[in-house]
Amino acid sequence: MKPTTRRSFLRTTGLLGASAVLADGFFGETRADKPINFAGWVFKPDTVKDYVDVYNQKFGGQVKYEAIPWAQYHPTMETRAFGGEVFDVMYCAHNFRERWYANGLIRSLDDLPGIDEMKKKMNPQNLESLKAKDGKLAGLPYFTSLFVLVYNEPMLQQAGIKAPAKSWDELVEHSLKLKRDKVSDYPFLPNWNVSPSGTMPQFMTDAFSEGANVFDAKNRVIVDQEPGVARAMERWQKVWKAELVNPEVLTKTSSTDTHRLFWTGRYAYHTNHSYYLKTIAGEPENSKLAPKKAKMTMYPGTGQTYMWTDSYTINAKTKTLDDAWKLARFLGGNLAGDWYVQRQWCLISGLDNPYPEMYEHPEIIASYDRWVDLKLLRKQYEKGRVIAAYKEPWYSEYDVKAVPIVHNMIRGGTTVPQGLKELVKLQKSLE
Amino acid sequence: MTVRRFRLSERCFASLLILPVFLAISLVVLFPLAYSLWMSFADVNLLRATGPALELLGLRIPLFRYVGLQNYLRLLSDPLYWDSFGRTAYFVGAFVLETTVVGLGMALVLHERFVGRPVMRSLLLIPWSLSRVVVGLLWVGLLDVEFGALNGFLYKAGLIDRYISFLKSGFSALNVLVSVYMWNQAPFATLLLLAGMQSIPIELYMAAEADGAGYWQRLRYVTLPALRGILFLVLVVSTVNGFLMLDLIYVLTMGGPGNETTTISWLGFQTAFQFFKFGPGTAILYTLTVFCLLLTVLYQKVMFRKLEAEEA
Repeated sequence: MKPTTRRSFLRTTGLLGASAVLADGFFGETRADKPINFAGWVFKPDTVKDYVDVYNQKFGGQVKYEAIPWAQYHPTMETRAFGGEVFDVMYCAHNFRERWYANGLIRSLDDLPGIDEMKKKMNPQNLESLKAKDGKLAGLPYFTSLFVLVYNEPMLQQAGIKAPAKSWDELVEHSLKLKRDKVSDYPFLPNWNVSPSGTMPQFMTDAFSEGANVFDAKNRVIVDQEPGVARAMERWQKVWKAELVNPEVLTKTSSTDTHRLFWTGRYAYHTNHSYYLKTIAGEPENSKLAPKKAKMTMYPGTGQTYMWTDSYTINAKTKTLDDAWKLARFLGGNLAGDWYVQRQWCLISGLDNPYPEMYEHPEIIASYDRWVDLKLLRKQYEKGRVIAAYKEPWYSEYDVKAVPIVHNMIRGGTTVPQGLKELVKLQKSLE
Repeated sequence: MTVRRFRLSERCFASLLILPVFLAISLVVLFPLAYSLWMSFADVNLLRATGPALELLGLRIPLFRYVGLQNYLRLLSDPLYWDSFGRTAYFVGAFVLETTVVGLGMALVLHERFVGRPVMRSLLLIPWSLSRVVVGLLWVGLLDVEFGALNGFLYKAGLIDRYISFLKSGFSALNVLVSVYMWNQAPFATLLLLAGMQSIPIELYMAAEADGAGYWQRLRYVTLPALRGILFLVLVVSTVNGFLMLDLIYVLTMGGPGNETTTISWLGFQTAFQFFKFGPGTAILYTLTVFCLLLTVLYQKVMFRKLEAEEA
């Protein structure tokens, strides 16, 4: 064994000291005073853990992350708040934001430093949807999405159809031909699943594509006065009656399950959330339509589709507001000029965000090019349409109870005028 | 000096011994039960827990605003509740019948001696030991219209020319729920009935055989009467389980298509956890408790009426 000399001792301790400074000081700013509790629903929790680690290292944070199952996420957060627990930063879905804000669970972000700069970078429609009813910003974006129309190119080619449908009439005509020629049992796959992310957002999307409104300026349901909504519903009845749609879609319990049907390559057209195209056209290990055999085309009619923005929110009772805000900016913005988290979601899951400048980043362009025509997707986003009705206290109940009415309409259990009247009546009964 | 000996009566001593357990049970069972019952008479918003409250072990337990019978009256005038009631009655009836018949059938088979009986008895417990979310996902994998193993098997065997959509209509979806839940729960009924069968004295069968009774007569006049107590238990347990079943609906149908697989338990869950109406949601779920109690009394009356008459 070599004896320890004064020189070797100094050299070793010097190296140790230098590495400690480099490990912490080089990557980090000052360490946060207090730990921050951060909660989100389960979606790629390992990815979230990774970027929380990056944050803790790079920005000197002490973030503790907890993933809570999606199905019970919002009720769990409420019951834990009821029990006195404080999560400083929390995911919040768009249709729960107003409830949390109005009941004092989360705070406005308007008084926090740098918020005006971030607002300027955001697409105005998304910014509007992130605001509470009092006009104050209630969250920073986790992601935004909208409905898109996807088609199965090999199937259309097999049937001699040269270009995807540009209108609803054409889409129905193509579907009838595919069925008649026995190319597909059920050529059309709309997102009519029973969950809150299925039938009703699809209903709004198709109403918007017909140029119709679903809610008036006071957020009341007005579908019985809108001929465009009736046209959309008559079309839904027609495709159902002609057996162009797989009946099982009505019992699918999520949009994820619905989009998986399209992986089989047995359907010609599919409408669903934009990010699902990444797995459909970009994951050959899962989908028969990858790579890029499934393509996006502009939504028919006016091209407008329903768009929403889920968010990161800050607890009104946080005792570490500065640190919570810093973390929220890291997650939902560009802390220190870097869109790290927003970029990661684009790259990993095709989850979009409302910051248009993100889509000029070469890494994003190269990644999207593997599964979608990015320019077309951005053009579709220009047609995205947000609503404000989800800020009303009755919305979540309306959203769930409207599904059986629409399913009955689809299956011809009620006439279109009667079904639309029932929707209006339902909303009035919940006010 | 005389020493007065303090003597506790046997009843007091016994009460003293069970007091700690009683307090523990009160804390973890009776108190939550009473509090949830109170919630069914209140206007509950978990995010607005101001107003009067109980203080218990340093915890503040809000009482919310008392609204009397309002939650109950509203649900009784809601057509959706009565539609769900009808479906629940069908679901529970079919489930209890299937579980009892299949459970009894399996118990009769496993009561006989044959090669591999111990293995079969062990395998029997697998469906019952699975969590219901796993059961739901397993059956999604079996029944799916695109990926389903059952469809694949039938198609490859040439028995169908196109895949069957098992969940396409409300009625077929409801029956799928009944069957899947029966698959999960019948093994427990089998276990109980098998235990009951093994406790029937062999002499009774020997005497019946000496009297010339065949298999079905022995079943009718020896086995079933001797299993009356166990059958009562099976009926009560499967009725309660049938009323409370929620997880499979969540995984397989979410109450759809339309409302056609919405039972009272699903409606209560939706009301409490999707609409955040905890008062009305609790009221809906308490009506299930009442139905369970009523049916238990009914079973008891029907099953033991003859026995009581004989004993009298």
